[in-house]
Amino acid sequence: MSAAQAVLEIEEPSGAEPGATIRVSGDWTFGALAARRYQLARIAATLQPRPAQGLRWDLTGITALDDAGAVWLARALRAAEQIDVSPQYRTMLTQASEGLLVERPAQGVDPLAGVVRIGLVAIDFWLHVRDATALLGQLLLDFLRLVRRWREFPLLELSANVYRAGVSALPVTMLVGFLIGVVLTYLSALQLKRYGADLLVINIVGIGVVRELGPLLASIIAAGRSGSAMTAQLGVMRVTEEIEALSVMGVSVTARLVLPKVLGLAIALPMVSFCTDVAALAGGVLIAKLTLGITPAAFLEALPRAVEVVNFWIGIGKSVAFGIAVAFVACHYGLRVLPNTDSLAAGVTQSVVASITVVILLDSMFAILLRDVG
Amino acid sequence: MSAETATGNGVEKVVEVHKLLNKIGSFVLHRDLDFEVRAGEVMTLVGGSGSGKTQLVRVILGLKRPSAGFVRVFGVSWDDANYFRVRAARERMGMLFQNGALYSAFTVYQNVAFPLRERGGLDDEAIRAIVYAKLAQVELEPKHADLLPANLSGGMVKRVALARALALSPELLILDEPTAGLDPDRSDAFVRLIKRMRTEYRFAVLMVTHDLDTLQDLSDRISVLADQHIIASGSIDEVRKVPHRFIENFFGGERGRRAFTAA
Repeated sequence: MSAAQAVLEIEEPSGAEPGATIRVSGDWTFGALAARRYQLARIAATLQPRPAQGLRWDLTGITALDDAGAVWLARALRAAEQIDVSPQYRTMLTQASEGLLVERPAQGVDPLAGVVRIGLVAIDFWLHVRDATALLGQLLLDFLRLVRRWREFPLLELSANVYRAGVSALPVTMLVGFLIGVVLTYLSALQLKRYGADLLVINIVGIGVVRELGPLLASIIAAGRSGSAMTAQLGVMRVTEEIEALSVMGVSVTARLVLPKVLGLAIALPMVSFCTDVAALAGGVLIAKLTLGITPAAFLEALPRAVEVVNFWIGIGKSVAFGIAVAFVACHYGLRVLPNTDSLAAGVTQSVVASITVVILLDSMFAILLRDVG
Repeated sequence: MSAETATGNGVEKVVEVHKLLNKIGSFVLHRDLDFEVRAGEVMTLVGGSGSGKTQLVRVILGLKRPSAGFVRVFGVSWDDANYFRVRAARERMGMLFQNGALYSAFTVYQNVAFPLRERGGLDDEAIRAIVYAKLAQVELEPKHADLLPANLSGGMVKRVALARALALSPELLILDEPTAGLDPDRSDAFVRLIKRMRTEYRFAVLMVTHDLDTLQDLSDRISVLADQHIIASGSIDEVRKVPHRFIENFFGGERGRRAFTAA
């Protein structure tokens, strides 16, 4: 019942004249080509060195043809003096031949490729700086406008962002804070015990957590959680044209989407930071009791004496700055996402990396500026 | 394409749906639904908004599992445990989604080349030739091959999606609202394109559309989906005679009369 598969017969003429008649018949489809793969490869090898002179191809026996068969034949037909083909397959063969002739631009190796890359990176960086400055300026303008017309303030969006970035982040940040507190206290305790300076552990853990670790941990986790969520949300809104829809309705995208995120994280992060401090200190208290025998009561009584209150306020102040930085970087990357899946993935990745880097840079800056305080 | 083989009453069925029960949650979409598409024909599926046309197509495509009944495409059920049989059936059909559904991170060339690469068995030069041939068939030029889908107009997106759907020379082409969003000139061009390709490739077409002009121009048979099952199936003239409120409104309403009497 099934037709013959990819039959190709070469009929050599009697006598000394060059040339031959090549009869092609049967089903010339992808399946047929696959089934007769080796035989056809051998035939193609014998046909290749033959000149076109006198080669007459008879394709009238073909019962079925698809693109794969058409391309195989078109390649072989490059050496042909005369081709007989039934009209229904003529177009397909012509298109396959034309397809073979389309030139792909040659991809040579550019000797200056390295220099070009550096240049492109520099230009990209400059565009980033320019767009970020524009966004910052726009946010300030929006903020000033909303301060004067406070009735228009996007309170719902703000509270939603405080909840999402703050309240729902608490379980994970407090857990991480507790564990870091445990580790830090344990390591410090081991060293201090040697010098008999047990009680100094309260100073180290207290200042370390309240001034540095609490805000830093909270911000880094927030960058991973909230930063990536903000970038992804804005990025997808670009793909689905929701940003365009908002602009057309006269709604300011920066005032209604970006500003609540920035302010929301600026409000939420100090509070998360505070809770992280508490969790870390709880971890410290536990380990101090277990390894050094310092009772919780003694720990908590010595804490305010060892750590001046100004350290706490520095920690909170840094959290506000980190919150603004993380949200700003996340929104900046989100608004630059192009409408394709690769761009979204790259944008979210770069956003998290950039916000964590900015947080660490800001932290170093604060450390240098405030080194004589507290 | 393989020669048509006779089955049962002499006609090969590329899509067979029998006694389908299709639910979303506890809501019943289709009940006791029988539907078929024969080899080489153009079958248009019509139905009111909300009648479940898209859901029926999703079941036929194997994207949704029915609660009961059988669905076979090329004689293969989507529940078949044999991975290769299912995969072979999938390679014999091509789908044109309503919004194109092109891979946004791939260029036009890579989108059309994708099914060819996945199937394997062809070298790069052959793939290149087939991709450019397909693009020429849908009236796109080689210079468009390096564009990303985001940079294409709506009409071009549909054409690239059609080229991709036809990349493996399928025996069944499924079109979901193919002329939606196209201007009248482009809609005519699309109909002409499908007609021309059918003379060369002889595939069956399952089309879902509201567009009365496309329906009339292309269809061999129509199936009407209403009241959770197919209420009528046959040529346009046969279906028009069936007494049912939806059919009377569809063919007898303002637009229907305009479209069908102008013929």
